[in-house]
Amino acid sequence: MSVMTPEKTLRGPVGWWRDPWRRPRILAGITIAYLVWSLLPVLIAVMFSFNDGRSRTNWQGFSFRWYWGDQTKSVWHDASLHTALLQTLKLGLLSTLIAVPLGVLFAIGVDRWRGRLPSGANVLMLISFVIPEVLLAVALLFMVTSLALPFGLGTSAQVIGLVTYQVAYPAVLVRARLATIGPQYEEAAMDLGASQLDALRRVTLPMLMPAIFASTVLVFADVIDDFVLVRYLSNGSATEPVSVKIYNTARAAPTPALNALATLLLLAAFAAVVIGYLVFRRMTRNDDTTGRGIAAFAGET
Amino acid sequence: MPVPIGSGPNRRQFLQRAAILAAAAPTVGAFLAACSKPAGTQGSAPSLTIAKPDSPVKWPIADDNKPIGDSLPPEKGATLKIYNYADYLSPQAIKGFEDQYGVKVEVSTFNDGDEAITKLRSGVDFDIYNANYTEISRLVTGNLVRPLNHSYIPNISNVWPSFTNPWYDQGWQYTVPYTIYTTGMGWRTDQVPADIGKLSNPYAALWDPAYKDKTAIIDDFHTAMAMVLLKQGITDVNTSSEADLKMVGEQLSALVKATSPKVTITMYSDMPAGQIGLSQMWSGDVINAVNYLPEGVGPEILRYWFPEDGKGLVDNDMLVTLKGGKNPVLAHLFLNHMLDPAVAKENFSAIGYQPPQNSLTADSLVAESFIPENLKNVIVKPEYFDTGYRTLELDADNDAAWHNVWNAFNAGGS
Amino acid sequence: MLQRSRQRTNRLWPVLAAPGVGWLLLFFLAPLYVVLAIVFGQRDPVFRTAVPVWNPLQWDPTQFTYVLTRIGPDGVYFPALVRTVVYVAAASILCLCIAFPVAYYVSRLAGRHKGLLIALLIAPFWISYMMRMLAWVNLLQNDGLFNRMLSFGGLFDPNVDWLTGQPVVVILGLVYGYVPYMILPLYAGLDRLSQSMLEASRDLGANRVSSFVRVTLPMCRPTIMAAVLLTCLPMLGDYFTNDLLSASPKTAMVGNLINDSVQAPGQTGQAGAFVMLVLLATVLPMVYYVRVTLRGDEVRT
Repeated sequence: MSVMTPEKTLRGPVGWWRDPWRRPRILAGITIAYLVWSLLPVLIAVMFSFNDGRSRTNWQGFSFRWYWGDQTKSVWHDASLHTALLQTLKLGLLSTLIAVPLGVLFAIGVDRWRGRLPSGANVLMLISFVIPEVLLAVALLFMVTSLALPFGLGTSAQVIGLVTYQVAYPAVLVRARLATIGPQYEEAAMDLGASQLDALRRVTLPMLMPAIFASTVLVFADVIDDFVLVRYLSNGSATEPVSVKIYNTARAAPTPALNALATLLLLAAFAAVVIGYLVFRRMTRNDDTTGRGIAAFAGET
Repeated sequence: MPVPIGSGPNRRQFLQRAAILAAAAPTVGAFLAACSKPAGTQGSAPSLTIAKPDSPVKWPIADDNKPIGDSLPPEKGATLKIYNYADYLSPQAIKGFEDQYGVKVEVSTFNDGDEAITKLRSGVDFDIYNANYTEISRLVTGNLVRPLNHSYIPNISNVWPSFTNPWYDQGWQYTVPYTIYTTGMGWRTDQVPADIGKLSNPYAALWDPAYKDKTAIIDDFHTAMAMVLLKQGITDVNTSSEADLKMVGEQLSALVKATSPKVTITMYSDMPAGQIGLSQMWSGDVINAVNYLPEGVGPEILRYWFPEDGKGLVDNDMLVTLKGGKNPVLAHLFLNHMLDPAVAKENFSAIGYQPPQNSLTADSLVAESFIPENLKNVIVKPEYFDTGYRTLELDADNDAAWHNVWNAFNAGGS
Repeated sequence: MLQRSRQRTNRLWPVLAAPGVGWLLLFFLAPLYVVLAIVFGQRDPVFRTAVPVWNPLQWDPTQFTYVLTRIGPDGVYFPALVRTVVYVAAASILCLCIAFPVAYYVSRLAGRHKGLLIALLIAPFWISYMMRMLAWVNLLQNDGLFNRMLSFGGLFDPNVDWLTGQPVVVILGLVYGYVPYMILPLYAGLDRLSQSMLEASRDLGANRVSSFVRVTLPMCRPTIMAAVLLTCLPMLGDYFTNDLLSASPKTAMVGNLINDSVQAPGQTGQAGAFVMLVLLATVLPMVYYVRVTLRGDEVRT
């Protein structure tokens, strides 16, 4: 702490600047400004989903026209929007159900297995984490259209692509959590007579539950929002999820029904997160090794 | 304790691995070759028969691709799959068909013909495709379309007689006409006060820096580049001359520098929204744009120009049934449905594109105020088809040359 | 006891990791080989679609050399490549300038509101990327709220078309879309910094700025590197941001080059060539990311 002569007191703006314990107003201001910039356009888009007219820029009154009022174009009446919503949920569930177990087992296996092969596999997995999505999408498109595989373009191809792209997520999160837990619990179990597999199943896996759960939620969120992979691997409007629908329609002539659809998806995602967080807190209520805040839920152990 | 990543392979190991890889690759190659899909049209003639107005073509019907039998019942509870441009089919027409036959109709969209053909080749099962005669040779040669059984489509008598024996499909074996349109220039009078139609070279207005950031051209390589050729006075819009193509490339670069146009097919909604002031436009898009004008703005604000003597780009779109489709009878019935005068007229009002129906003459359309007075020249007259220029199918080499120019333009080459 | 467990170790872990490794080999590595087979393959003479050639001994380099000769400084594709680098670099720097203060504030100084702020920061993950872009398309339209704000209620006439080929709009769009992906890793890394080190530096007389530059920044350098790579690598393949916010060739990025040529007849090979080139260009940053992450793992254990 700098020496304070009687003249240099902690008063006035200069004093405020020098005070090392002052409240960080500037940073707080930046954070608030960022949050407003980040969320306000979305709130405006949600607001316009309740617009009475066709415009998405001119407010013409409040109504539920685009949710269920309009006979042909509202979300309730437009079958193509239903298809898109269903496809999004289908892809989300299938991909998550496959990617998470695959990633978790991969992480546990690679973490304990010594040698060149697993470190190579680890590198491969990390690369699949950061590769630009369009490269993977184009490569898979080429593969599906050139080889006589048991599946063609469509939901199967989309699920495969999504799993490939997402499998790194649970793997990374579980590895991080394994590193934090350390080997002592498993070793203790084995000392007490459990076999390797038993120790894994009854000691380690329950301790990994928070990370597994967090990765499930994150993979689901990522998949329902995915655009590049599902667009390249789709085979018609029946297999186009909401993100592709928004893209296609946004470049043509969108109505506020699009805003309504996106709002509904937002609500669904929000509900999923809230439920997920509550379940997470319940699951970790006796666990000392993990944080219980939102940060831990998001996977940042 | 994690294992160190290792200091890398030493020389011997590296050579060993390289040798293994080199030996393995052809094996992998052979394995994948065994798994790969058959290459498609390798057996047939490598060159395409290009149909032209002065050399009409009657397509062969392959033995394994005969039309369906007569008087078959429509498929029950099926989903008819249509592959079309976005906003190019009236929802009411679809609903009418769904109600009449108790089936579902599903419309998938594409942005341009190239994308569509690639998709069709990858084994999708659409029933109906909105084609253009720039693709008809490839569609027939590539075994993608199914020949029609005319007994299901009596409504053909409602369309212009020339379409029962068009030069691109003599004897209408594979196609029925869908819409007719011209390609001219559209503008908004509030952003572009000048009367583009009165200029000596209206196409050149797109290069006028006064309209910077307000212009657009159509996102179709052939249509856009043909317009550049017409601007320079070259009437062979299917040219294979290297010098001409080079000139087009230079003109397109100059265009980007001058006015930085959007490249899109959504001018029918962008112009009414005020995003675009002046654009190369299809005639149907201008009418469609009237539907998208915001409240309080009338159609007087939109204008269209097409050469009065009909010496501009004239085209028609067609509907074809696809061989991969699972509902051929329904597909035939849908084509018949769209040729019905009432349905065609409703479709016209929904999408803005004129169908070649006998009942819709230029006079009747204006008399019924179907088309605003200031947009009268949107109507396509039969005479245009005699004098106008068509964008025809290009053979493989020419197609490649044209695409190279378009690619360079799209890469923002300036 | 240890001997036995070590023997068992050798069998269990590979078995666990095998499905994941197999999946990655099949659906991540194999498609990349297919890309090679198409780039160096033939073209169907009628449709000009790509015909893959599987045997490397029969590979035909024409399509690859066609692209290679055009990416040099006077080549046709050069502007797009330069533009991609410039946009991604600018967007990454801007992201960092925004994300770092926000992450720093939320991780260290937020106090009571930390949970709420994290929830708000995570929210964009759950809002469809397309919808966030769509929100901006609405705002930036000629008659949208942004222009209306600029005109101060009719005083000026901001004659700017934001959605037609404006590089600034594309860069800001990229920033808007990707900044949430940078905040979370930065938050995680900054959270782990020890407060005592920072307080020690202040105690020893450094002022705020000096303490930040000489203590905080070096300590979180790996975190910053990892976060920047995690954000800017996916950005390299982005094409839809440009498509939605500016349908003009003037702002085309390498992702647009790939997207435009994948479905075009005769140019699928070129698309594959671009995919290969982007992969080669990003392999070094990706390897660097892998090393940074693995080193981070080492530090943590």
